[in-house]
Amino acid sequence: MDIATVRNVARVARLKLTSEEEQAFARDLEEVLAYMEVLDEAPSGGEHDFNPVPVRDVLRDDEEGRDVDAETLRDSMDTYQDMVRGPKLS
Amino acid sequence: MSCFPTVEKLRKLNARYHAFNEIAQSFPDLNEYPPRFHFSAKENLCAKGFQATAGSRILEGYRPPFDATSVSRMRAAGGVLLGKTNMDEFGFGTFSTNSGFETPRNPFDERRACGGSSGGAAAATSLLDKHIALGVSTGGSISCPASFCGVLGLTPTYGRVSRYGLIDYGNSLDKIGLLARSAADLKQYLPIISGADPKDPTSCVQPPLRIEGAKVSRIAIPEEALQNLSPVVKEGFEGALDSLRSKLDIEVIDTHMPSLKYALSAYYVLATSEASTNLARYCGMRFGAKGGSISQHFNDFFTEVRSAKFGREAKRRILLGTYARMVGFRDRYYMKALSVRQLVISEYQKAFAEADLVLTPTMPFIAPTFEEIGRMRPLEAYQADFLTIPPNLAGMPHLSLPCSYSDGMPIGMQAVAPHWEEGRLIELAEKWTGVFHLRFPEGCA
Repeated sequence: MDIATVRNVARVARLKLTSEEEQAFARDLEEVLAYMEVLDEAPSGGEHDFNPVPVRDVLRDDEEGRDVDAETLRDSMDTYQDMVRGPKLS
Repeated sequence: MSCFPTVEKLRKLNARYHAFNEIAQSFPDLNEYPPRFHFSAKENLCAKGFQATAGSRILEGYRPPFDATSVSRMRAAGGVLLGKTNMDEFGFGTFSTNSGFETPRNPFDERRACGGSSGGAAAATSLLDKHIALGVSTGGSISCPASFCGVLGLTPTYGRVSRYGLIDYGNSLDKIGLLARSAADLKQYLPIISGADPKDPTSCVQPPLRIEGAKVSRIAIPEEALQNLSPVVKEGFEGALDSLRSKLDIEVIDTHMPSLKYALSAYYVLATSEASTNLARYCGMRFGAKGGSISQHFNDFFTEVRSAKFGREAKRRILLGTYARMVGFRDRYYMKALSVRQLVISEYQKAFAEADLVLTPTMPFIAPTFEEIGRMRPLEAYQADFLTIPPNLAGMPHLSLPCSYSDGMPIGMQAVAPHWEEGRLIELAEKWTGVFHLRFPEGCA
């Protein structure tokens, strides 16, 4: 994997890497991706699911309640006058 | 009555082994009635009153205001939560050397690793008499440390234990289980944490847990799993097979599972894809570490805190997972990995038509020293999981139990049962611990 690809993937993942990290990850990922090529030989097709055991939708009734109050939730966030503060969107 | 360590004794022990990231301020009166027991929870399980960092600096300071279902069920059964156990950051590791905090040390030899990612849980169980630890496995994170620290590690079927309150690594792979010193403890505590929970729909499709009446009379050994083992593990495992035959009258047969060679790659495609999406939520706003100036553009704000707080292995797996989901790679490998998972399940099912359990060593070597780990390339570390990944990929219940010792270090073997048949594993554990003497480190609490 070349450095430009590592940098592009990191940008998508919201990571800024040092040049040492870029080089190390390029080398590591190249090796891991080469190893994954064994999957090219694996039989394809057949049925598959996204979970290892069958999972179906299990719905429950809506029940009014409050497990955690808003104040407790705000404890772990940056707030201003009962509002959550975040960075600029544009 | 459980024997409780004192807070002071536990803190002293922890200063040496770093099994816990946080220890409770106080423990209850030993004479309290009804009798109570002590347990620990891995750092990626939420528990009221404790931090839940999942071993990551990006979650440092996050104190969830609720209990994970597994934790609340243990507390309701009389369990006292001693503390939160150390782990590889978000479960990313084979040796627990990727924790954002201290590195847990093996109670049998402090120069060696505990295994990962539930390394703190295994160390705590090995160190503390009558302790039961809640661990979490995605690709072998209960079996591996159980093997390295000489304890029993039970990973139930995917969906058997509610994942509500678990900080996810890979949603289709994560399973909460137990690390214990005895088969009796597994038998006692598995029913407590199992069962449907409306807060996790994947737990609501399970059949009832059936422990009594399970039989183990024939065990299959896949030939493909016996390659690339260190001589001491090979020798220890073969000795255990002899004991199974001669002391327990269990028939041992050979089998073939050619798909095992694809399992490791399929696992890393699926696990990192799921992890990279799960970790997108950690951006310096809601949990733990806070971002910089809110006058920054959100992209810069998120990027800055994530780059500063995620550790090296977390970054590596985020990059791998992000790449795996990109156009081209997704079509080539992601869908293929899902097919491989089904293939592995089919091969296990074929083996279970002839045998009650599939058995392999747990890890290809004994707990390595920190120096040896430092010399490993990332791929070499990933490859060390080749025996623990198949049952995890397939969502099959499995159990690691000590089967031998080499130079004082434990060696583990791993039994795999069909979906929902945890009873067979406990039956094997009861039989095996009846004829095999487990050792624990001396001089501990």
